Amino acid sequence: MNGISITAAGVVATLGLGMAPPAGAQTLVAAREIIERVDQVLRGDSSHGVFRMEVVTEHWERELVMETWSLGTDYSLVRVQSPVREAGTATLMADDDIWNYLPKVDRAIKIPASMMAGAWMGSHFTNDDLVKESQLIKDYDIELTYDGDRNGVAVWEFRLTPHPEAAVVWGYVDYQVRQVDYMPLFARYYDEDGALARTMRWSDFRDLGGRFVPAVMEMQPADKPKERTKVVYEELEFNIDIEPSFFSLQMLKSRR
Amino acid sequence: MSPNTWLRIGWRNLWRHPTRTAITALGLAVGYFAVVFIVGWTEGIAAEMVENATSLVSGQIEIHAGEYRPERSLYETIGGRNGTDVSELLQAVSADPAVVAVAPRVYAGGLISSGDATSAGMLMGIDPLLEPNLSRFLDELSDGRLPITGRNELLIGEEMARQLVVEVGDEIVVVAPGADGSMGNDLFQIAGIFRTGLAEIDASFGVLPVADLQALIVLDPGRIHELVVSTADPWIAEETAERLADLLAPIGLDIEVAPWTELRPEMVEYVSLVDSFYFIIIGVVFVIAMLGVANTMLMSTFERRREFAVMLALGATPVKVVMVVLHEAAAMGLLSLVIGSGITIPIMIWWHNAPPDMSWLYGELTAFGTLMRPTLRVEYNVSVWIQAGLALLVTALLAALYPAARAARVPPADTLSGV
Repeated sequence: MNGISITAAGVVATLGLGMAPPAGAQTLVAAREIIERVDQVLRGDSSHGVFRMEVVTEHWERELVMETWSLGTDYSLVRVQSPVREAGTATLMADDDIWNYLPKVDRAIKIPASMMAGAWMGSHFTNDDLVKESQLIKDYDIELTYDGDRNGVAVWEFRLTPHPEAAVVWGYVDYQVRQVDYMPLFARYYDEDGALARTMRWSDFRDLGGRFVPAVMEMQPADKPKERTKVVYEELEFNIDIEPSFFSLQMLKSRR
Repeated sequence: MSPNTWLRIGWRNLWRHPTRTAITALGLAVGYFAVVFIVGWTEGIAAEMVENATSLVSGQIEIHAGEYRPERSLYETIGGRNGTDVSELLQAVSADPAVVAVAPRVYAGGLISSGDATSAGMLMGIDPLLEPNLSRFLDELSDGRLPITGRNELLIGEEMARQLVVEVGDEIVVVAPGADGSMGNDLFQIAGIFRTGLAEIDASFGVLPVADLQALIVLDPGRIHELVVSTADPWIAEETAERLADLLAPIGLDIEVAPWTELRPEMVEYVSLVDSFYFIIIGVVFVIAMLGVANTMLMSTFERRREFAVMLALGATPVKVVMVVLHEAAAMGLLSLVIGSGITIPIMIWWHNAPPDMSWLYGELTAFGTLMRPTLRVEYNVSVWIQAGLALLVTALLAALYPAARAARVPPADTLSGV
C-alpha cells in the first residue's frame, strides 16, 4: 500500500503531496476523492534522491545511506552507498518483482514469492512494502472516520478496509492526514484480528526538490516497541529524465 | 480327584472326534497368531516411526537456550550473546553413559540461488565429523560427499537441486540475514546432494559446516543454537534428558533439555493410541474364537447327553459334570496354545530378523513427518504373548460355561428313556 514506499515517488505519493492545499481545506472532502488525487499525483512521476535509513532492533543498530531512483509506481532502484562494506548492494523493483544485487558475489537474486513478506535489508519494511505501491482505490474501501481537530491540528482520518479479494495482509489501516497541506501524519496497520501490528509516522515536513514533503518517515512494529526503522531524506529531485530501461538488471549491477 | 485327573479326563474327551478337535484347536491357534502378529506389527510401525523421527534428522534430545523454542530466533544461542565453550559442552554431554552421540547445530533462514532460480531455505550448520554419528540423513548421499569446513561447501536436498537445476560441483549463492543486521552472502559449491524422503526437508534444507554458516551470518564461533543428542533407545530419552538437565544446570547457562517426547508430543500420543488399540484387536479376535469354541462344545455336549445322563443317574453331582466339560475346554485351550505358539514364535523370530521388504508394493511412506521404510517390521512384546495366551485359555473356559451348564442339567430319566 501506498503508505510505506521508501522511494521518492512513494513519498510524494504517500503524502498526496505535490497537491496544492485546497482553498477550503475545512470543507468536507469526499474521502475517495482525496485518495484518488493522491493516486493521480503519483502516475508518471519520476524521482531521484538520497536517504539515510536507521534501523534499530533489540539486537543491533545500523545506519545505511542509499541512493534511489524511481519512475511511476512500477519501477525503482535503491543502491547502498555506505557503509562501505555493503556499498553497491542494490534492490531493483520492476512491476511486482524484486531483485537484490550482491556485489560480493556479483549476482542478482530474485526474491521468491515466499519471501515477499520478509524484511527488506534488515529493516522493518517488507519486500512487499516496496512493490505493493498505491492500489488504494483498487484494493481498499475508504471511509472518512473523523474530520476535525486533533491536538489543535485540523485533520482527516480515514479507515481503509481491503476488499475481500485484495491481496492485502492487513485487516484495515487507519490513516491520518493534515488538512492544511494534505500531509499524512500516521498510518496504523491492524491485523485481521484488529490488533495493531505497526505504525508509520511522517514528520519533518519541508521543501525538497521543489516540493513540500515529509522528509522523515518512521516505521514501528507494535510488538517490539523498542525497534524502529527511520528513513530520512537528504536529497530529492523530481521529474528527472529517466527511462524504464534504466531499471534493468544491467543497471542493478553497475556500481557507478 | 486331583486337577491332573480332571485334565486327563478332559484331554481324553477331546479325542472323541479328533478331526473336529483339531479344526477347533487350529482355529484358536490361528487366532492366537493373529493377535500376537497384529500387535507386533502395529508396534513395529510405531517403533519404526519413533526411530525415524528421532534419528533421521532430529535427535532424541535437543539442548537449546531456554528462550530458543518455539520461535527459534537467530539470536537465542546457548549461553546467550556471549556463547559458550562448545567443545566443553560436547564433552560434558557425551560423558553421560546413555548418550551415544552428540553434535552442535546452527540454524538460519536464507535464500539459496542459482541463475534465475531462487529457493527460500533453512540453512543448517553441522559438524561434518560429529553429525554422521547422530543423524542418518547424511549417511548415504544420493550424490557427492560431505562438505569440508572452510571451503564454502554445501549440501542441498534432492528436490531443491531439482528446482535450482544444479548438480554436485555447481556454484550457488547463499544469502542470509546476519546477526549484526547485515545481509550475509557468499558463493558456495555444492559438495553433495542428500535425500531424506521428506518433501519439506529435501526442498528447503541447505546443510553446511557450522563454522561456515557462522561466518556467513556473523555469529561468533561460540554461538550455537542446538546440541542434538542421540541415545541407545528412544525410550530412555526422557530420563537421559532429565539427567543432562541436572548435569548442565551448574554451568549456569539458561538451558533447556528437551527429549523427543516433549518435542513431538503427537508421536507419543500415537504410540499410546497403538497401545490401547491392540487391546481392542485382542478382544475382537477372542470373541470370534469364543463363538467357535462355544459352538463346538455345544455340539459335543449335545451328542453326549446320554453319557451325562448316565453319569448323573449313577450319582455324579451336576458340579462334577460341569467340571468334566470345563476341563475338556481347558485341555482344548492348552492344545491350541501349544499349536499357536508353535506357529507364532518361529514366524515372529524370522519376521523380526528378516522383515520382508514391501517397497515393491508401497514405495516409500511418510506419516507424521517421518519417513517409514516399507518393511513389515514386527516387534517382540513377550508380555503381549503371555497376555494373549492367558486370554486364549480364559476364552476357552468362558465359551464352555454355557455348554457345561446345559450338560449338568440334562434330565437323566427322560434322556435315557427317550431313545
